[in-house]
Amino acid sequence: MLADLRQSIADWIFRPAVPEVPPVTLVQRRIFILPTRQGYGFGLMIVLLLVASINYSLSLGFVLTFLLASMAGVAMLHTWRNLAHLRLRPGRCDAVFAGDIAHFGVTLESPALERFAIGLRRRGDEPIHADIGVGEPVTLAVPLRTRRRGLARCGRLEVFTRYPLGLFHAWSYVEFDLAVVVYPKPDENAGAPPGATGDASEEGIPVPGDEEFNMLRAYRPGDAPRQIAWKALARERGLLTKEFSATASSELWLDWDDARARDAEARLSILAQWVLHAEEFGRAYGLRLPGVSVAPGRGEAHRARCLEALALFEAPR
Amino acid sequence: MTARAVSPHLDVRNVAWLLAAMVFVVAPHLLRLPAWVGAFFVAIVGWRAWISWSAGRFPSRLVVVLITGAATLATFLQYGRITGREGGVTLLVVMAALKLLEMRTQREVTLAIYLGFFLVLTNFLFSQSIPLGAYMLACVWIFTATLIGFNRPGRVPTLAERLRPAAALVVQALPLMVAFFVLFPRVHGPLWALPRDTLAGRTGLSDSMSPGNISELIKSDAVAFRVRFHGDRPPYAALYWRGPVLTDFDGRTWRMAPERPSSAPQLARAQQPARYDVLLEPSSKPYLFAIDAPAKAPPDAIETADMQLRARRPTDERRRYEMTSWLDYRYGAGESPEALRRASAFDPARNPRTVALGRSWAAADPDPRAIVERAIQLFNREFTYTLEPPALGRRDPYDDFLFGTKRGFCEHYAGSFALLMRAAGIPARVVTGYQGGEVNPFSNELIVRQADAHAWTEIWLRDRGWVRVDPTAAVSPLRVEQGVNAALGPIGVIPSIIAADRLGLLATLRFGWQALNGRWEQWVVGYDTERQRDFFASLGFASIDWRTLGLWLLVATFVVGGAVAVGLLVRERPRRPDPSLAAWNRYCAKLAGAGLARAPHEGPLDFLARVKAARPKWAESAEDITRRYVAARYGPRPSREDVRELADRVRRFRAA
Repeated sequence: MLADLRQSIADWIFRPAVPEVPPVTLVQRRIFILPTRQGYGFGLMIVLLLVASINYSLSLGFVLTFLLASMAGVAMLHTWRNLAHLRLRPGRCDAVFAGDIAHFGVTLESPALERFAIGLRRRGDEPIHADIGVGEPVTLAVPLRTRRRGLARCGRLEVFTRYPLGLFHAWSYVEFDLAVVVYPKPDENAGAPPGATGDASEEGIPVPGDEEFNMLRAYRPGDAPRQIAWKALARERGLLTKEFSATASSELWLDWDDARARDAEARLSILAQWVLHAEEFGRAYGLRLPGVSVAPGRGEAHRARCLEALALFEAPR
Repeated sequence: MTARAVSPHLDVRNVAWLLAAMVFVVAPHLLRLPAWVGAFFVAIVGWRAWISWSAGRFPSRLVVVLITGAATLATFLQYGRITGREGGVTLLVVMAALKLLEMRTQREVTLAIYLGFFLVLTNFLFSQSIPLGAYMLACVWIFTATLIGFNRPGRVPTLAERLRPAAALVVQALPLMVAFFVLFPRVHGPLWALPRDTLAGRTGLSDSMSPGNISELIKSDAVAFRVRFHGDRPPYAALYWRGPVLTDFDGRTWRMAPERPSSAPQLARAQQPARYDVLLEPSSKPYLFAIDAPAKAPPDAIETADMQLRARRPTDERRRYEMTSWLDYRYGAGESPEALRRASAFDPARNPRTVALGRSWAAADPDPRAIVERAIQLFNREFTYTLEPPALGRRDPYDDFLFGTKRGFCEHYAGSFALLMRAAGIPARVVTGYQGGEVNPFSNELIVRQADAHAWTEIWLRDRGWVRVDPTAAVSPLRVEQGVNAALGPIGVIPSIIAADRLGLLATLRFGWQALNGRWEQWVVGYDTERQRDFFASLGFASIDWRTLGLWLLVATFVVGGAVAVGLLVRERPRRPDPSLAAWNRYCAKLAGAGLARAPHEGPLDFLARVKAARPKWAESAEDITRRYVAARYGPRPSREDVRELADRVRRFRAA
């Protein structure tokens, strides 16, 4: 109830901003602070202590009461300081399959002060916490359970702390344009793509003669390890990648029209399974969707390109 | 570093901290409360620790309710109620233990810690001494450290990570606490009636005396009152602090006579009076003490016909009063016949040998002075002064004392002397109070303890009125000349070694400690409405009311709190960037303005190469600035001049 009210007030004050340019430093005016329920409880306790001290004329009771009250005040400063001047940058956001948990990476960095129990959460989600040393950036991965393929956006993040006594909740919002590509969930019953059976062996070893060795080229990140010319490396000719040119007959096209299913999502799931299958078998494969086409290729980067095309195909918003 | 949310309230170490803190704060109570409370508390804490350690099951709610009921019933049976000091504290201790037992959520943990803070306060109901205060400060520290542990989701902090921030919080809170303590308006008296037993356990003189009860009192080292003299202190032998006057006698016990209105005692005043302030400890009794003979009762008190000072209300809290006493006085020459009759009455059937002795003296020589002389000689010749007198019979205690044991204490001498006088036809009564005291050389205060309790007599002579006779002085003159320690050696808690070197190091330490205690009692524990007014009067504010105090409190909160805040926040502000880096950034900004932005990955030398290629006419100054920047930033510690020179070059650089 109170939390809801606080949330709506904060929303009103802190209207959704355009995605911010990293790094974001939590300057003074961005930080809000209010007592927690524990904090109100602490206040009530102080009132009770004060009444008891007055009633029993306990001087040391007054000392205790005022000490605790002052400590609450100092704790408020500590809580605020624990968050102030914290620097945030967006981090890695790796793609996942629908149904898996996506992680939005946010890097927190403290320029001058060791921070404790800094929490980070999307609204309504369980927070994650970390301590941040000076000059030791920490990357927190904010989890989000995905349901559908497409682009999962992180939205506004709340960065907060209650350290040291839990009497005050200091918080701030950051809005990075963090998004995770959510691939369609592969349909495990889809079987092998049409045309993949027959001459391709089940073990996933490239069949000699199926593709012709063409040339060696410089290694590029993302090339599959089995394509690397290890012999060339042993001869100290550097990291080279063997390039094959597949013959037209061995090119595998994963086609929208071949994936027979009752609706588009199911088709995409089948295609996703086929992509995984084709990649596993080491064959060059291309993807044909209505209006979208990915030229044949292979490797991690190619696989990601294909799955991304599936994920974003007429992406549901 | 990164961790999923661990529930701090489930962590074994956090729970162990809380249990330890609870044991710490309750420990002083366990020494005061009945043994079963201690056993119960320890058992419950042990149970809770075991649950936490073995990840065992919590008891069901029904079990907790049953234990709660049983403990409440036990408390009720112990005290006959569940309010009052002992009863209330017992119940609170029991409830705190049970709270630990059902502590399952973060909220309940917090509640338990708050209960711990409250238990700190309850300790002050029993004592507000410096050692207990220091101990309780440590308890607050530990509870704060515990609370910090419960607010570190993600990681369980180390010992230092708990204690250090907790200490910082306590220390940083001190200035504001002091401001509040000094300025918060104090109100008089309780907001509601205090239970009587809150004041129980206080020792002091009572309204009756039978052989044995003063010698119990005298074993207590507790302070009865403190005195600060204006001007010279009267001689030690004159320091008879008059208290209850006991006239009615039943053969064993002396009691106070019913109160009679003051007949304005006629005092003959011959010399300068003694003026002094008395700071009286709470006694739950209405008696006020003053040197014989008090000139005038303090406000809120009356003086009775037998020259006792009585407050209108029992002394339930420390109280200060100003007194004037005449050391050389005469009073009671015109005493009423009724009073004299009371002061002569005795039951001849009890203590018959004592009565017979008194009568025989009167028969031999009726002159009162001769009778007194005989009695003093008797005591002087055959009697011994001791704190451990043999037990006396109930029916004729003074016969047993005078003709049997012959060993006794002031009450024995005073009681038997008064009875002898009455038997000899001289009106006599017993006066109780304190004699002497101990001067603290540091504070120059006279400290009078329960150990200084004394009893003496007054006899009535036709031509003089009431005259003080102290028969104990006949037996042990030292007692009256130098105090009870000199007469008896050390008593109570004072180790004998201290009495052995009265002027040595130990004595100095003891007096220093007492002076500190005195200051503490006066300025901390005794800081009440009057003390607050005195304090502000000494600062030059004659009258100060709660509104002014409230305003000052507000101002002090802002000033002191603001100072603490500035100290906290400024100290930790991000450090200013390296001046050479700042100059370099300005240089890059100038080039960026001219369309030559440095890429984030581009080092200074790469950038220089690009600048030289793109704008050959700037090559020289760019080379100069870059070289200076690289030297200042990456070379050995640059001199201040180098950095200034760099900044100067950058300022003069025109990218146009």
